[in-house]
Amino acid sequence: MDILNYILFGLGVALQPVNLLFCFIGVLTGTLVGVLPGLGPVAAISLLLPATFHVPPVASIIMLSGIYYGAMYGGSTTSILVNIPGEAASVVTCFDGYQMARKGRAGPALGIAAFGSFIAGTLGVIGLAFFAPPLAAVALKFGPPEYFSLMVLGLTVLTFLAGSSMLKSLMMACIGIVIGNIGLDLVTAQPRFTFGLDILLDGVGLVPLVMGLFGISEVLLNVEEKLSQREIFKTELKGLFPTLRDWKESIWPIIRGSVLGFFLGILPGGGAVISSFVSYGLEKKISKHPEEFGKGAIAGVAGPESANNSATAGAFIPLLTLGLPSNAVMAILLGALMIYGMPPGPRLITSHPQLFWGTISSMYIGNIMLLILNLPLIGLWVKILKIPYPILFPLILLFCLIGAYSLNNNAGEIGLMIFFGVLGYLMKKFKYDGAPLVLAMVLGPLMDQSLRQSLLMSGGSGMIFFTRPICLLIFVAVAVIFLLPLLPIFNRMRKTVSEAEET
Amino acid sequence: MRNPDQTSSLFWLVLGIGIMIGSLKYGFGTFIAPGAGFITFFAGAILSLLSLVLFISSFRAPEVRKGLRILWEGLEVGKVLYVLILLMVYTLVLKHLGFLISTFFLLSLLFRIKAAYPLVKIIIMSLSISVGAYLLFDFWLQVQLPKGILEGIF
Repeated sequence: MDILNYILFGLGVALQPVNLLFCFIGVLTGTLVGVLPGLGPVAAISLLLPATFHVPPVASIIMLSGIYYGAMYGGSTTSILVNIPGEAASVVTCFDGYQMARKGRAGPALGIAAFGSFIAGTLGVIGLAFFAPPLAAVALKFGPPEYFSLMVLGLTVLTFLAGSSMLKSLMMACIGIVIGNIGLDLVTAQPRFTFGLDILLDGVGLVPLVMGLFGISEVLLNVEEKLSQREIFKTELKGLFPTLRDWKESIWPIIRGSVLGFFLGILPGGGAVISSFVSYGLEKKISKHPEEFGKGAIAGVAGPESANNSATAGAFIPLLTLGLPSNAVMAILLGALMIYGMPPGPRLITSHPQLFWGTISSMYIGNIMLLILNLPLIGLWVKILKIPYPILFPLILLFCLIGAYSLNNNAGEIGLMIFFGVLGYLMKKFKYDGAPLVLAMVLGPLMDQSLRQSLLMSGGSGMIFFTRPICLLIFVAVAVIFLLPLLPIFNRMRKTVSEAEET
Repeated sequence: MRNPDQTSSLFWLVLGIGIMIGSLKYGFGTFIAPGAGFITFFAGAILSLLSLVLFISSFRAPEVRKGLRILWEGLEVGKVLYVLILLMVYTLVLKHLGFLISTFFLLSLLFRIKAAYPLVKIIIMSLSISVGAYLLFDFWLQVQLPKGILEGIF
């Protein structure tokens, strides 16, 4: 029915020259930051966010999304060639990808990662086009109590999935809620936790927070390490196209990974990371030759690489239909949409169809661009990898400094970013996860608002969250998640993922 | 302190209590008409409670001999502090000296931290990157970077 029409309409938007250009800039930047260890999509998107204020909103969102899924592509390159994951979702790719490279099969490994990502990205986009509109229609019926419950659920799932300790993640979520509510209270216009600082009156900006927590802190951690030489394979990269046998071994892992990744991506918190791990585990379990995994099995590259890509498409669903971000990148996109005056939520699809369908279609075009871009340009990415860290880290710092300053031409924002940089550095030392903090910080004001509205509706009774059927269902789910860690099997799974994230 | 978790949990506990007190000052309100400090009070309360749980459970975790020093063992902490000081000084002088001059000095000092490049190379790199970044962001991306004492020349 109409979906095809909408997709064609979206393609029309995405194929406009300006949008094509920004899509290209996005995927190119994304691949670049994916390749560079220590600079992830979160930092890159927050860095380019201020620059997009002069650009039409649709083009900016297309570009920012491009950075996100482009980084997933780029991350695999470093995993395979140097055994250093460009970002967390590519950790699994190291297991078999690097082993393939050692056996002189770096070409097919990179090739299958690119093709797998392309197929997964495509399937993910189709899934997004089909699932988002009906979900948005349901979400239209939601009131403040449902939204509040959903946000509680989102934070609970996130703290459950992310990080090594659920307790610590919950603590970070509390801190995030407080940070999110710094500044003038919307109802009483009273300044909260501003300590007399003018810069805090408007609240803490997402960009200095994220760049500090994820950008500056990463640099600080690397600066104190004694340098080790990175080893890059000198083997010539030839035959990027996987053989027929490679395809036979990979096609089902790719399809399974895509479906799995898409649905896990919808869940809040590290969808791409978790799905790559689950896909790897699944492929190893059902493989006829599980002993080959870890020694260069191509299925061990194809599955996870596909899963992390379709997870990025899945992650857009809660944002575009409910207005709730599921990870730090989506939180920044939420901020961006608000700045452009297009608050995401169930009405976004109908009120700004060019944005919704344009972005989705651009993801499809972006995937084709990435395929064309990645395979021939691998030589260039390898060269970039060779930039020594003593030169690279001042550049990363400089980008963060300019990014924070350019928000509103205020050096105070840089100070704020340095503060969060130190906080992020200490949090990593003491093993606290930054993701719940960021998400809670974005949700903080929304939670404040919906909680107050809900209590106004009910005349001050908290029972409103248990008498409305959807809320009740959601809170039951929250309770179940809190009880899950009591089961040993779940703890084991969480432990593997968090250990891998740390490496 | 027995281990890093114990230290950090105490820190969060104090912060959580501070948040609760602060929130009460901003006004808790009532359940019918929640005040400005309503949600932050609960966030602070939950934070304090969880920190307490972490503090108590840290007694069951193994004792770390060297205390907090274990977190920085074998690492070059001095360099981290040096980078932080450079960044703070940069923040303070940026407006007065302008982007070009402050960035040039910042980069020249940063490039020396992890490697020993010849001075000429450092100067050439810092100069070209500062100017390049200025052109890229100020001219092309229209970010208004401070000109400082060079105001009027550009």
